[in-house]
Amino acid sequence: MKRSATLWTGCVLAGLIALVALVSLFWLPYDASDTSGTRLAGPGGSHLLGTDKLGRDLLTQLMTGSRIALAAGLGSVAIAALVGITLGLVAAFAQGWFDDTVSAFLDILIAFPTLLLAMLIVSARSATLTSAIIAIGLAQSAIVARLTRILVKRVLAQDYITASRTSGTSWPRIVGAHVLPNIWPTLAVNLALQFGLAVLAEASLSYLGLGAPPPNASWGRMLQEAQATFTTAPAGALAPGILLVLLVIGVNLVADGLRDTLDPARRRRTTA
Amino acid sequence: MNLPKKPLSAGVLTVALAVTLAACGGSGGNNNSSGGGAYDKNATVNIGSLYEPQNLDNTAGGGQGVTEALNGNVYEGLFKLTDDGKVDKLLARDYKVSPDGLTYTFTLRDGVKFHSGKALTSKDVKYSLEKVIAPDSQSARKSNLEVIKTIDTPDAQTVKVTLKQKSISFVYNLSYVWIINDQAKNLKTSEDGTGPYKLNKWTRGSALSLDRFAGYWGTATTNKQAVFHYYKDATALNNALLTNAVDVVTSEQSPDALDQFKSNQNYKVTDGNSTTKLLLAFNDKAKPFTDVKVRQAVSSAIDDKKLLESVWGGYGKQIGSMVPPTDPWYEDLTKVNAYDTAKAKKLLKEAGYEKGFSFTLDTPNYDPHPTAATFIKSQLAKVGITVKINTITPDEWYTKVYKNHDFTATLQEHVNDRDVVWYGNPDFYWGYDNKQVTQWVADAEKASTTQAQTELLKKVNRKTAEDAASDWLYLYPQIVVASSKVSGYPLNGLNSQFFAYDIKKG
Repeated sequence: MKRSATLWTGCVLAGLIALVALVSLFWLPYDASDTSGTRLAGPGGSHLLGTDKLGRDLLTQLMTGSRIALAAGLGSVAIAALVGITLGLVAAFAQGWFDDTVSAFLDILIAFPTLLLAMLIVSARSATLTSAIIAIGLAQSAIVARLTRILVKRVLAQDYITASRTSGTSWPRIVGAHVLPNIWPTLAVNLALQFGLAVLAEASLSYLGLGAPPPNASWGRMLQEAQATFTTAPAGALAPGILLVLLVIGVNLVADGLRDTLDPARRRRTTA
Repeated sequence: MNLPKKPLSAGVLTVALAVTLAACGGSGGNNNSSGGGAYDKNATVNIGSLYEPQNLDNTAGGGQGVTEALNGNVYEGLFKLTDDGKVDKLLARDYKVSPDGLTYTFTLRDGVKFHSGKALTSKDVKYSLEKVIAPDSQSARKSNLEVIKTIDTPDAQTVKVTLKQKSISFVYNLSYVWIINDQAKNLKTSEDGTGPYKLNKWTRGSALSLDRFAGYWGTATTNKQAVFHYYKDATALNNALLTNAVDVVTSEQSPDALDQFKSNQNYKVTDGNSTTKLLLAFNDKAKPFTDVKVRQAVSSAIDDKKLLESVWGGYGKQIGSMVPPTDPWYEDLTKVNAYDTAKAKKLLKEAGYEKGFSFTLDTPNYDPHPTAATFIKSQLAKVGITVKINTITPDEWYTKVYKNHDFTATLQEHVNDRDVVWYGNPDFYWGYDNKQVTQWVADAEKASTTQAQTELLKKVNRKTAEDAASDWLYLYPQIVVASSKVSGYPLNGLNSQFFAYDIKKG
């Protein structure tokens, strides 16, 4: 199977950020709460990328921020996958009024922008990273659930499922043997896209003061804090902005690459 | 490629409301920037601000913005407060105090009309005073006027107020009571005052425009229209000034943006006096802040100078107590509980917290609170205290902290002048309960001379500072940035008011 260049580029970009996050667990240039630096120092000198208003090292903050970005992406997608796929499967199998109710509910949920829905959930709870992840995950699970439901219904309509049913195969076996393997490629691509959206959603929530609370260095809040000093110390806003873009582009390239390699319509059929 | 487009510029949704305890402020304006030269009498002056009112009623939680836009412009009091702290007569032509100091008789100015056309009578004054002390009033200054026993209106031009006890600040307190038409309705969205401007239109989230009131009793405004434009963040506001969308910014909150105006001769930057203090307010009734040593330790562990420098660059002032330099009972107390980590550690040890402790800091979600919270967390970590930052909205702050006193420590900006007296109220949100201080505040209010009042309030000032009743982090600067085409705007932000009536635009 030929791996596409898109997938590789995406993996390298996202992998770099993951590497930074990994390194940050063991080593940081400065302590994250060290405010001993000069206010708004420029790049170079003892602080490689400079400092923020409080004199904290920018590189240190960016590195710890990468953990938050990845945690937000992974956490939200995990919740979206767990809730969304389960709900989608149940709705598709239940059919009748339950299916109708669930899909109507999902349509309503999807009509709300992810960010708005997440803001509603965060305001009901307190503003923490966990709240943000749960909120984004739940908002996204509606999208995943609807997709799962449609995909499962399509598979269930196939003749071989009917054949399998008449030969006495149980529903759980059908899900494991037929449904999941068939819907997985499309779902994986969608979940990768949701990952990128979740990273941006967390950054947006933090920008609005509804994400990871200070002093956690979320890239979104770093952007917000650096906004007022953009003309005097542009590095503070540029650096988290660039990292955010790189991570999201990386993840999107991975999604595109996955589609090219996994999508049944685009690959040679090797399994039935 | 499928690049998601989620707007990061969703900052338009930021709730940049400064929930302050501003009820209202006095009038004044002698300290205006120098006017002069030719100007357009029919000009529209565009004023940029970060503080949109919540509603237009200063007894219904209108916030800082309602004072800024309406005080002195749309509504007037019996008295007005000048910038050097003196109280001048405004709607009151004259007044007499009985020898026992308990009865005040006010004579109203003739020929004053409300914007609706009705003439001002003593009944309106009675109504306005009663509105501030009504049970549902949310005015933070309500308690100061509860000293009123009866209000009589012997004739249309005379108001006679009897007090329960002597109140030396009574006339001063009247300077922030708006006189409103007693027939007026829907005061949250409309107005009926006697000021030089009448409300034209308030477009929520955007602008509030005031038109010159042709029937004004005093000197007419030097511009035809004043429009307050509201912005959610300082950067957008500065951009509006740079693109001439606004002529003047009432209170600059972004010191790093000032260089671009200072180096440009089309703009003027002024640094006036402010009464706004940033407080780390402990709940003095909640452990461990019931212990004065713990409060002193926390105050000593925070380097206020560095915080001020971080947030404001070179602007603003350090402050050692609740009293700003413009209050008559100011005393420089910055040396009390000054930054000294060794002393902080010693105090913690004496209080039995040698190994430190942890507490939750309720932090309003708008600037500068999150920055200050981050800084405080990092400073207190050095003496072993762990701070858990809990970000809350202005509404949550009002309910959780201000009303229910359900907090351990919080950050808040307090905009009013002469507000050290709140430490005399044990039921105020910070719960400082010192019988001696309460007595001093009460005695100061009953004092016969301002000198006696000043002496007593100086004692209050010193005692609360020594007790670290709160930690007063710094005094805000009051920076006004304006186009060089305009003049006559107020330079000081005492009580956060902004008089537009003398602004001249060339």
